[in-house]
Amino acid sequence: MKSTLKSRIALMFILVCLTAFLFGAIVEAETFNFYVVSHGGPGDPFWGAVMNGTKDAAAALTKGTDDTVNATYCGPAKYSVEELVNMLNSAIATKPDGIAVTITDPAALDAPLRKAIAAGIPVIAINVPDPRPEAERIPYLFYVGGDEYLSGVKAAKRILEVRKPKHAFVAIHEIGHVGLELRAKGFIEVMAANGVSAEKVATYLDPTQAIEILRGYFAKHPETDAIFTVGSIPCDYVIQFLKEEKLEGKVLHGAFDVSEEVVHSIKEGGTLFTISQQQYLQGYLPIEFLYLLNKYKFLPANDILTGPGFIDASNVKSVEELVMQGYW
Amino acid sequence: MKDKSKFNSSMALLFRTHPEFGALVALVLIFVVFCFTATRFLSFESLAGILTVASELGIVAAGITFLMITGEFDLSVGSTFGVSAMTLAITANAGIPLGIGFFLALAAAFFIGLVNGIITVKYKIPSFITTLGTMMLWRGILLAITGGFAVRYWGTSSFLRGLNGHFLGEFRTSTIWFFVVIFVVNTILSKTPYGNSTYATGGNKEAARVLGISVDKVKITNFVICAMLAGLAGCIQFARFNSVDPLRGTGMELEAIAAVVVGGTLMSGGYGNLIGTLFGVLLMGMVRSGLIMSGAPAYWYQAFIGIILILAVVTNTKLKRWALK
Repeated sequence: MKSTLKSRIALMFILVCLTAFLFGAIVEAETFNFYVVSHGGPGDPFWGAVMNGTKDAAAALTKGTDDTVNATYCGPAKYSVEELVNMLNSAIATKPDGIAVTITDPAALDAPLRKAIAAGIPVIAINVPDPRPEAERIPYLFYVGGDEYLSGVKAAKRILEVRKPKHAFVAIHEIGHVGLELRAKGFIEVMAANGVSAEKVATYLDPTQAIEILRGYFAKHPETDAIFTVGSIPCDYVIQFLKEEKLEGKVLHGAFDVSEEVVHSIKEGGTLFTISQQQYLQGYLPIEFLYLLNKYKFLPANDILTGPGFIDASNVKSVEELVMQGYW
Repeated sequence: MKDKSKFNSSMALLFRTHPEFGALVALVLIFVVFCFTATRFLSFESLAGILTVASELGIVAAGITFLMITGEFDLSVGSTFGVSAMTLAITANAGIPLGIGFFLALAAAFFIGLVNGIITVKYKIPSFITTLGTMMLWRGILLAITGGFAVRYWGTSSFLRGLNGHFLGEFRTSTIWFFVVIFVVNTILSKTPYGNSTYATGGNKEAARVLGISVDKVKITNFVICAMLAGLAGCIQFARFNSVDPLRGTGMELEAIAAVVVGGTLMSGGYGNLIGTLFGVLLMGMVRSGLIMSGAPAYWYQAFIGIILILAVVTNTKLKRWALK
């Protein structure tokens, strides 16, 4: 009897060891290297949130699993397609386990991305998808981001719900950026369909010059009573301009992206709303998905839309604190 | 016949002593064109707008003029502009009095200028390369420190309003500081022995050395003056917006250099003045406002500035050769 108990304990011990050994062999600790390559660098607060998302995802995976996940974010400080392509090529050269990339210029990115995909590197598009029909599109796995055109459309509809403007102004700061141009296009088309003229104007980066451009434009078109800013940099200048000219509330201002400035302006009533792509997710989710794909071969069935979401007077208070922490 | 040659020689003298003459002619021509094409161009608001853009750019360009006359360059002024504005913003948020913050911001600019000067002079590196390096270095530090986020100061103060507030309706106090800078720097250049040393250093370095001028000292001092003026402009812009993003001032160096060159200052040094730079920056501001008020798409601004720059340089070079004949 005694010996049977002993042998049973011994058997169980062997079984436990064996299971642990087998399990250990299956989930052997691995290291994954991922890259997020974007056209936006650390100079734009928008990308600060994406960078935070990337960093947090890698840290959470490394902490929560036996594996080590390294995620590197690269993007030029100033918008430049050439630099984006150079950075992408450098990332591909390291033979990473996955890349998330913004397709700001499909023509320029086509060749390097196809080469990477052919070499077996998983590629996810973030923030800006390839706008071409599916057959011609760069064969990336799926897209994580907002819908740019839809965002412009919804922005115009929101403004039209308040009142029909006489003339609308669209401020764009990165000329030729497909995503920004699509936002402007969606906005202008809906306005035109409702009989409102709308014009797109380049305002560039310098605030003093941007404000004089606005002042000059308002001198030429004093009937302008709606402004749509396609990113957070021109948004801040427009808020300042409206304040200086005492036009807050008289000119309807719809914005894109979230900054401390725009949150404050929504609270004060100077800005009607701002659209968020919830871009933290565009940095976070690709890392999660690339990990799940490498480790367990999971793939979502469809693109993942992180926006457009709206921040207006109704929800601005709950988001404010998170903006300060760099999540929005 | 005699009258004609007399006229020619007096014109030659005019160009020789007034490098700004070409810029003035261009300024008047463009002004007249916009008077006809641009809506409400001849209004106080429009003039105030042009002066506002010209003031911040002009303070930076004044420093570049000073340095360019010495025969050197500073590509890092845009980054210095950003660093100073950021220093003021960060110190203001830390509860340090704005006056002290302003002093620290200028001290940061002083340091940047000193580093530029010492590296260029002591290691005999072309200033184009030195300042290209420091331009990237300081911009990179700005990005790294802020993590890409803009820094916002929510308080208000009479100090900031004094730096860049309103007066006489649409006009801004930055314009007053701009004219003060132009006056002071122009006086130093044209009325003091130090101004003479600056021209001599840029004109003929060896001859200047023979005359007992400490060429290296003059160059380093002018790097410091240039950087401090860029820092001042950064603080002035911050005073209006109460916020700085880490890209603030990007591209400013090239616009400022363009304005200086349009104003007749030679890139090779030894020739040029502040009045020309004043016309140069006014021209840049006017072209931007005028194009928009004429209804031309703002996308065209850079192309126009490019054409004006090339025309100005070609004309200035030809006139100078002719005048010195």
